[in-house]
Amino acid sequence: MPLVTKDLVPVIVKTGASARIAEDVAPSFNVGDKVRAKNINPLTHTRLPRYVRGKVGTVVLDHGVFVTPDTVAHGQGEHPQHVYNVAFGGDELWGGGASSKDKVYIDLWDDYLEKVEA
Amino acid sequence: MSHDHDHTAPPADIELRVKALESLLTEKGLIDPSALDELVDTYENRIGPRNGALVVAKAWADPEYKKRLLEDGTAAIAELGYSGVQGEDMVVVENTPTIHNMTVCTLCSCYPWPTLGLPPVWYKSAPYRSKVVIDPRGVLAEFGVSVPDSKEVRVWDSSAELRYLVLPERPAGTEGWSEEKLADLVTRDSMIGTGFPKSPSEIQ
Repeated sequence: MPLVTKDLVPVIVKTGASARIAEDVAPSFNVGDKVRAKNINPLTHTRLPRYVRGKVGTVVLDHGVFVTPDTVAHGQGEHPQHVYNVAFGGDELWGGGASSKDKVYIDLWDDYLEKVEA
Repeated sequence: MSHDHDHTAPPADIELRVKALESLLTEKGLIDPSALDELVDTYENRIGPRNGALVVAKAWADPEYKKRLLEDGTAAIAELGYSGVQGEDMVVVENTPTIHNMTVCTLCSCYPWPTLGLPPVWYKSAPYRSKVVIDPRGVLAEFGVSVPDSKEVRVWDSSAELRYLVLPERPAGTEGWSEEKLADLVTRDSMIGTGFPKSPSEIQ
């Protein structure tokens, strides 16, 4: 009997598999904090896009606790941590020619960020 | 019957790759081929942007629903029966007179499947993914639309586990319309942020 049969498809489609996890992990950052995305260049799986590395933004949402794909992808455990939405100004990301009015809002794991003192 | 070519063209690379993957999954006992057919049929014929349009129309017609939708997108969308793969954790972002929202996944092709179906090819393409974060207004111009300079453009990069749906502004001149009729105004692109809902005159 195959693992995935026709009658299982509607159940799989409807249920999915959330990466959210019910673990009580303390957040390192609060909404409103200024943070810098770390300038790290892992050779393994990461969800930290190059274009935000080293850039300063502001935490706008705390989405709660999620498993970490960087470790899960390599069989190194779930490593639960907070995921935040961080807003970066266009001028911070792309330099003087870009609009400071327009912004990129991106979801980033706690490990990717470091606090910038005001 | 004339014979105008001297060989049979081999299938395209992508077709061969798909066949090879299907054979492997079947032979290893991981999947029943009829399950794959069911999956393809689900996303070709049953799950698409009409779902998202009904969510948007309900939010336009029902202020209490809109409040729930903006507070907890996943739960409010599930009220209409839409949930599951690539929509496990949803965030709805509202367009207003001062804010225009757009979505992208710069790392791959993440997209809210339960409400919008599978992503269009351009959404997965490198040109869209790389340009929209640098020059969102330029991308809007390529789609033949624009937002005034007075509006802030927010580009939501869903490279993590949250999926985003744009709640477009309700078109003027639709007072008293039913949800069903309002849903006819909601385009797929208006829920990605690369377009706007239709105007009432376009559907009447």
